[in-house]
Formats: sequence, C-alpha cells, structure tokens
Amino acid sequence: MNDPVILLSIGILFLGLTAFLFWPERGVFPRYKSFRKMSERVFHEDALKHIQKLALQNKYPSIQSIAGALEVSADQAAIILSSLEVQELISVVNGKWHLTQAGETVALQVLRAHRLLERFLAEKTGFSEEEWHQRAEKLEHSLTLQEIESLARTLGNPSHDPHGDPIPSSDGKVRLREGQSLTMFPINQNGRIIHIPDEPEAVAAQIRAEVIVPGMVVRVLESSPTRVRFLIGGEEHVLAPVVATNIIVSEVKEVPVEIIQGESLALLKIGEEGEVVSLSPRCRGAERRRLLDLGILPGTVVAAEFISPGGQPTAYRIRDSLIALRNDQADWIRIKPLIMEQAS
Amino acid sequence: MSKESKISPNDILATAQNLREQVGGEFHQSLVEAIYTDATRIADRAVIRPDSKPRFDLDRTIDKIVTSRIFGFPLMILLFTIVFWLTISGANVPSQMLATLLLDNLYPWLKGVFAAMSIPWWIDGLLLDGMYMATAWVISVMLPPMMIFFPLFTLLEDFGYLPRVAFNLDNVFRKAGAHGKQSLSMMMGFGCNAAGVVATRIIDSPRERLIAIITNNFSLCNGRWPTQILIATVFIGALVPAQIAGLVSALSVVAIAVLGVLFTFAVSWALSKTVLRGEVSTFSLELPPYRPPRVWQTIYTSIIDRTIYVLWRAIVFALPAGAFIWITSNIQISGLSIAEWVMNWLNPVGLVLGLNGVILLAYIVAIPANEIVIPTILMLTVLGSGISGVGGGAGVMFELDSLSATLNIFTAGGWTLLTAVNLMLFSLIHNPCSTTIYTIYKETGSMKWTLISSFLPLIMGFVITFFVAQIWRLVELL
Amino acid sequence: MTEKSIETLPVTNENCATCPVHNAANLKKLGLNLENTDYVVALAGNPNVGKSTVFNALTGLKQHTGNWPGKTVTRAEGAYEYAEKNYKIVDLPGTYSLLATSLDEEVARNFILFGQPDVTIVVVDASRLERNLNLVLQILEITDRVVVCLNLIDEAERHGLTVDDRRLSRDLGVPVVPTSARFGIGMEDLLAAVHEVATEQIKNKPYQIESEPTEIKFAVNELVKQITSIYPDLPNPRWVALRLLDGDQEIISAVQNGEINGLVQAGVEEDKRIEFLEVTN
Repeated sequence: MNDPVILLSIGILFLGLTAFLFWPERGVFPRYKSFRKMSERVFHEDALKHIQKLALQNKYPSIQSIAGALEVSADQAAIILSSLEVQELISVVNGKWHLTQAGETVALQVLRAHRLLERFLAEKTGFSEEEWHQRAEKLEHSLTLQEIESLARTLGNPSHDPHGDPIPSSDGKVRLREGQSLTMFPINQNGRIIHIPDEPEAVAAQIRAEVIVPGMVVRVLESSPTRVRFLIGGEEHVLAPVVATNIIVSEVKEVPVEIIQGESLALLKIGEEGEVVSLSPRCRGAERRRLLDLGILPGTVVAAEFISPGGQPTAYRIRDSLIALRNDQADWIRIKPLIMEQAS
Repeated sequence: MSKESKISPNDILATAQNLREQVGGEFHQSLVEAIYTDATRIADRAVIRPDSKPRFDLDRTIDKIVTSRIFGFPLMILLFTIVFWLTISGANVPSQMLATLLLDNLYPWLKGVFAAMSIPWWIDGLLLDGMYMATAWVISVMLPPMMIFFPLFTLLEDFGYLPRVAFNLDNVFRKAGAHGKQSLSMMMGFGCNAAGVVATRIIDSPRERLIAIITNNFSLCNGRWPTQILIATVFIGALVPAQIAGLVSALSVVAIAVLGVLFTFAVSWALSKTVLRGEVSTFSLELPPYRPPRVWQTIYTSIIDRTIYVLWRAIVFALPAGAFIWITSNIQISGLSIAEWVMNWLNPVGLVLGLNGVILLAYIVAIPANEIVIPTILMLTVLGSGISGVGGGAGVMFELDSLSATLNIFTAGGWTLLTAVNLMLFSLIHNPCSTTIYTIYKETGSMKWTLISSFLPLIMGFVITFFVAQIWRLVELL
Repeated sequence: MTEKSIETLPVTNENCATCPVHNAANLKKLGLNLENTDYVVALAGNPNVGKSTVFNALTGLKQHTGNWPGKTVTRAEGAYEYAEKNYKIVDLPGTYSLLATSLDEEVARNFILFGQPDVTIVVVDASRLERNLNLVLQILEITDRVVVCLNLIDEAERHGLTVDDRRLSRDLGVPVVPTSARFGIGMEDLLAAVHEVATEQIKNKPYQIESEPTEIKFAVNELVKQITSIYPDLPNPRWVALRLLDGDQEIISAVQNGEINGLVQAGVEEDKRIEFLEVTN
C-alpha cells in the first residue's frame, strides 16, 4: 500500500481525472452543465431569433436554415418548427413561415435580454470584449421577464448595447438605427461609429483587433473595392470592404481636429506635457468613471513625471496630483502634445 | 395646481427616461466636465500660485530616487531587510522575557496558588495547563514581533513610501493579474495574515482585492516563522558541518518564504484567469505627497489598531484551543486518550503525505493560532511515544532549550528528514488560522470566498506534500 | 500678495462678528461617547486629505491615519461637545466623487442624502483644490448645510500656494475654514463654523453647477418642475433630477416608492440614522 510508485500513479491519475472533470469550460462537468442548458426553450428561442433576423432582410426560414443556425439535424429542426407552429408563435402564410404577434414578442424579449446582458457584461464585469456576445448568447435564455426588467433598471435603462445596437424597450419597440455603412461613407468627412457587428465571430474579431468601438470618431481616407483606409484617434486603419461594410457610421457636424489626430498618452515622454483631447470609448464602466472623477477630461493638462523601474506604470501629474497609470490605461487617453515654453 | 398635482412619481420616471434618450449616453461625462469646468474656474480665482516653479522640489527629488531604475529596487530591498531584521532581532529578547515571565514564573506560581486552594486537578488542568498555557504561548511568540513590525511598517506608510513600493512592483503584479498594492498586503501578511487581509482595503478594484485576500495566506506569517526556524535548525542544519549549520538553516527558511511568494504569483495568475475573471477590474494608484510621520502618534495608533486587534483575536481563539487540547489529551477511552485515538486514526493519512498523525492533529488544534504548533507537536509526540521524563504531562505544552533533546523526541516519534521538509511545506501551505478566516469573512462578506480562501491552500498543501513524499521515497528506493 | 502666517488667517464668515468667542475651552472631546446627540456632523472628503486627522482632532480619538488614499473603513463615529451642544461626528470613506460607482461612494452618498446630517464638513486639500472642488460641488448640490475645511494649508504654503479662503467662501456660498489639522491649527474656527451652520445662525447659499450643456440644463429644468410639483419641500430637486438622468438605480427606487419624500421631513429620527449607519458599515 505504501509503495511510492503505486501511490504516485494514483496521485497523478487523480489529478488528471480532476482536471478532466472540472477544467474550466473544457472539463466534463462544465460541459455537462452547459449541455443541460440546451433545453427546448433554448432551441425555440434561438429559432424565433433566427426567423426574425431573416425577416429583417426580407428572407424566410427553411428547415435547412434553421438546422444550420441551431446546429441540429434537419429532423430536429422540423420538430422545432412544428412545435413553434402548435404554440402559435409562427404561422404559414403563402407557404412561408412568419412570426406571429406572439412570436415577435418572444423574439424581441430574447433580443432585449441579449443586448442588456452584453451591456451588463461590458459595464459591470471584468470579462473581455470577445466574451460578451458568447456569454450573453448563453445567458439570454435563462432570464425571467422580471429578471430582465431588474437588469434594465440596474443598468439605468440603457438605450444601446456595447456594439451600438438599440435595445428593444420593454413594450417591444425597437429604435431605428440611422447612419450608413463605412464603405459608403463620404471620403474626408468626419463620422461617429454607431455600430459594430457582434457576429459572425470572424468579422467581429477583426474589428476588435483594430480596437474599434462605437462612439469613436472616424474619417475615411480611401474607399476602394479592395480596401477601406480610415483614421481613428490619429491612427490609420485598413480593413477589407467585407468587414468594413458591417461598421455603421453617422455624420457628425463639428469635431475638433484634435480628436481625429489625438495621440496616445502612453507615447508622452518623461518631462513632456500634453492636453487631453478625448478619453477613448474603449475605456468603459467603472474604469472610465474613475478616470473622469480624477479629472482626466478634454482640456486637462497631463505631465509625464517618472516611470516605475518595473517598466510601467508611469506617474502623471494631473491637476496637481500624481496619478500612476498603466500603459493600456494611458493608451485610452488621447492627447495633443504641448510644446513646453522654454524658460528664458 | 390641479393639473400639476396629477403627476405621479412614475410620470417623473417616464419623463426622466425620455429625457435620458434625448441627452444621450454621454450624460455622465458631460456632467463631470461641467463640474470640473466650474471647479477649475473657482479654484483659479481662489488659488494664488507662485510666479515661477520652485527650482527644487523635494517630493519629486525623493520620487526620482526611490523609483529610479538603479536605486529603486535595491533601496526597497534594503528598507524591507532592515524592517525584518529589526523585527526578528528586536523581538528575540522581549519574547524570551515574556516566555520566562509567563511560562517559567507565573505558571508555577499559579499552579502553587491553585494547589494551596486545593482546587480539583481537572479544573487546575483545564484552566492552567490548557487555556493559560496556550494563551501564554501565543502572547510570548506573537506580541513582541508585532509590536516592532507594525509600527515600522506604519512609519513607512505614513511617510508615503509604501505607495511608491506599489508603484515599483506593479508591473510584476500586473503580469500575475493582480494590483501593485498587493505587494503591501503581502508584506503585511509576513507580520500577520489577518492584518494583511485587512490591508487589502487599499485596493479598490474588486477582482484584484479578492486575489490579494485569497493569496495572503501564502505570506509566511510570524506565527509560522518559529516552526520553520526550529525544524530547519534541528533537521536541515544537522545535515551540514556545524560552522555553516546556522546559515544553511536560515537559507532554507528564506527559501520557504520565497516559495510562498512564488505561490502568491502563481495562484494570483490562476485566479485572475479562472474564477475571478468576471469580477470588475480597475487600476488606480495615487502617489500622495511625502509627509513627515509623527513617530509617537504612529507607534501608539499602530499598536492600538493593529497589534492589539490581532492579539485580542488570537487570545479569543487560543483560550478554547488550549482547553480543547487539554481535554482531548486527558479524557481516556479504553485506556487511550482521545488525542491518541485521533492521532492513530490520522497516522496512515499523515504517513502517505510524508507527515504523521501528530502533525495533522496539531494542525487541527492549531487552527486558532499557528504559534502553538510546535509545543503541541512536542506534547503529543511525548504522549504518543510514551517517552517519560520530558514535558509537563498530558495536555501541557512545552518547548525545550536544547536542540538535541528536541531532536531526540522527534526521532522517538519516528520523524525523518522527509517529515521535517514536508512539515515546513505544510506550515507554509495550509488553511489560514481562524482569526484570518474570520477576517476574510468580515472583509468579503461572502461565504463563498471565505471557503475558497480556506480550502484552496489546504488542498494545495495536501497535493504538494503528497507528491513530495512519493517522489522522495521513490528516489530513496533507487 | 503678502504672505500671511497661518495663525492670523482671518475668520471665515462675515457673520462671525456675532459668533461666540472661540476658545479651546469650548471644545470637549467626547471620544466614543455617543449619547444625547444634539447634532450629527458628517465628515466627507477626497482620499488622503487628512480627514481622519480632523476627526481625531475633534473627538480626541486616535483613529489610524495612514498616508494612503482610502484608509478609513472602520470605527467611523465619534463625538464632541461644543458650546453646550453634543455633536456626533461620522467619518465617511474618502471618495473622489459621489456619483456612486463604488461601494465607498455609495456609503458616503447615502449618508449625506438619507442620513441627513445637520452639517457636512467637506475636508479639502488646499494644494489640490481643483480636484477636491469636484466633490465639494457635488455635495453642495445635495445639501446646503456644508462647511468646507480647507486642510493642509501648511503643505500648500510649503509649495508656495496661497488660497484666498474668503474668495472661495464667497464663490461657494458656504463657510470655508483654513486649517492644518495635524498641528491643531484652525480647529476652533472650524467648530464655530459648524456650530453656526448647525444652529442655523448662518444661512448658506450654495453654489450650483452652471456649466452643463444646454440640453442637460433643459432636461434638468423639465424634471425639476415635475419633482417640485410633487415634493415641493425637497431640499435638492436639482440633484435628484441629475441622478435620474444618469439612471441612478437607488434614486429611481427612492422616487418610485416615495422614500425620497423622507428627505422632505424636517429631520429623520436619531435612531433611524444610527440604524442606517449600521447597515452601511
């Protein structure tokens, strides 16, 4: 019994088994939990969402499209559709499936829950941007109506999700989104990004990689069938038109030129001063409010004082206080460098 | 009036919601901008600034030195070495004096008083041998270092140096998903984990604060240093020639402390990537101006606020622990005391972990205060192995002046070098003491995080000692 | 500008010609003795401005005051007697703002709003006035019973800064008392000012934020009209309107369940305040 070889093997086996069972997200237990959530309700709601989405593009679902969207077999898709029909959530008109009034309501509720959840994840949790959509996609089905409403209240009844999509109101009204696609936007005009896509993931990931979020001011420099070149916060970005077409921009009238040209505070050298021109929309929630409370606002003069021997953070003098900021925080703060007056 | 009085609170809210949509999402920022615009105007009118910047700015000069690439880290290491050195060397004498007073003088005197009043042996045993002894141990081991460590630490804090330490070390902690200020709660943990947990209040980001709370236990607190030092001296020091024995045993204790710091980083990183991923994370660190500390006030308040607080908690928990130890070693069931029954029952588990039943039982009774681990182990070993002529009898904790006598007891209890190494490891990595657990609960207000902070290190301790034991034995076989 | 020494700084308020002679004998530090309180005083301020030092100087308690932003969390109450009145003083957590984004801010905000202290002392750092005024202006929107304690003037002087406290007092519409709590300077003036505000010998005319964009101004006015039609005696309708526009959940509920009406009543009973404190601590 006390043979170390046997005990060691038992120990390693035990560790392996524990990891196999409980490894976050990939273990058997977490998988089982998420599998159990894939109930009938989930399939039904996802199907209604799918139909609604198609309806917005004047398209109609087929058994194949349902099967594809929900990742189920065609047989299962057929069962789901007939069950929805029995519940009078969809009906067949002219041989095509339409959402009924009731179906529309359910679909809008799910959409409301999804966008509120994304907003919640963005503002009140530490999950990173790429996780919001996936997590909201899972959680949206588990909320009751009351929970959705209390979530909305906690967030202060927001009007848009972090991707710039309007959140349907509790009585099922959706605001229309104005603005036009980045590919269609006139060259050398200033616009404000009001929407970025949350799916498909491949497109969303490219836009995330360029760190583009709603609220940013953009100026298109070049728009050709092969590429769209544009300026945000003083930096040039290039995207393929297939991706850029998903970014929606609205016109803005007056934008100080500094906002377009502002550079990162992180680039400010020790001993130099800069004037804040904007706080990037990438900085949200508690983090944003804290920086605002510290007085980091357009017009505030910031001076780089000294750097930690560890490489970061850097200490900045802001309104007579010394505030240490990490590099990614300083990067959110866009500044216009000030030329220091030479003493005599 | 009649029209207006028809408005209900819900109408106000509806209006507010409508107006919110018109005003737009930037409301918060617009408001803060407005307030700051006004604040700047008012401040500009009231503040008269000097015409030219003073040529010499003392604060900035100190900052340039304490955060410089060359001097920053060495200065920090030097200062903390001095603090720890003062604590350890300064605490030795008063600790010895307290032990002489409470254990060598007061204890026999109380015994005498009780005997003169012909108080039944079990009351005398429970009160003096159990409760009094445990509390006296805790006080004499814990009080002197705390009375030196906390005021020194507080002086550095009041001067304004500690925020600079957080500033210097932040990048390391950032990579582990933590906050630079954790360096200070960690450092405070070397004094006392409960105080370290309280010190995490300076971290205002929920995720980083929880990380700092959960990992504080990996800072080897002063209740555990004596265990490390004794075991290292008795077992590790004995492996090398006498001239370097002191150095080697000291280095092995430092190695354990450094291992604790490594665990802090590893566990911080793992927590920030898994269970705590969803908690809100922000970073803010203001570097306050330097202020000359008021020495006497600081010493007074740090003794009141920290030392007395921690000591009081320890006493509250040590009293019942002492009673418990005495009762379990004196109540017999079919010829064996309860303590022996439990020890025998725990022994197989202990041996698999490279420890033994005595150590496991000692760690169960020492949950209230780790200071009593060594005296409890000695007492239980004597009780279990039936050595006669040492110690004060069943349930009476003791320590020996002679190292060889201590080693003899351990050898009689069946200890090997592996037992010693694993005891040092287990002393570093096990559940926090009950004072700390209670403090964690008070600070987090959450049962979940309290349980995680308590069981995570315990499970880690079991796993690590288990693997060390097996690999050790395997190597011995080869 | 000639430099004036700390000791001869003028008394803050014009009304002070009539106020009782200030002397230290008027102050009796009561430590933790919280019985028979006549007035409740809240102590607010940015982190690390010496709030706890002011607290200790007034109560005789020895709360630890580390040079760290955000130190105060426990033992937040004390008492003192001044001019034959018993004052209870509550040390609120240090915050940069009251727009309720962290737990600390919520505690401080809720106490000033719902705890309805008779006087709120806002401790500000004289050498960082701009950032400190951010908090002062927010508090002035909530309550007019404010005394500004212009602390750390010794430090400001060391940096060559001079703060014109009379000017500041006129602009803010509340008494401003220059102090250096570390050295006990200005504490009597502070006590006198608090006493005058508490006993309503001074009526403050607090400054109102005026630089907000026109669309916000318009929205606030709309809401204030509605709010005052239901709660005509509400002391701070503008502030309630601002919080509603920011979607502050706590204020929305307070309006919905009529709790905001509690603010209208002349004073909340003493034990209710204490109860509230216990909940928030």
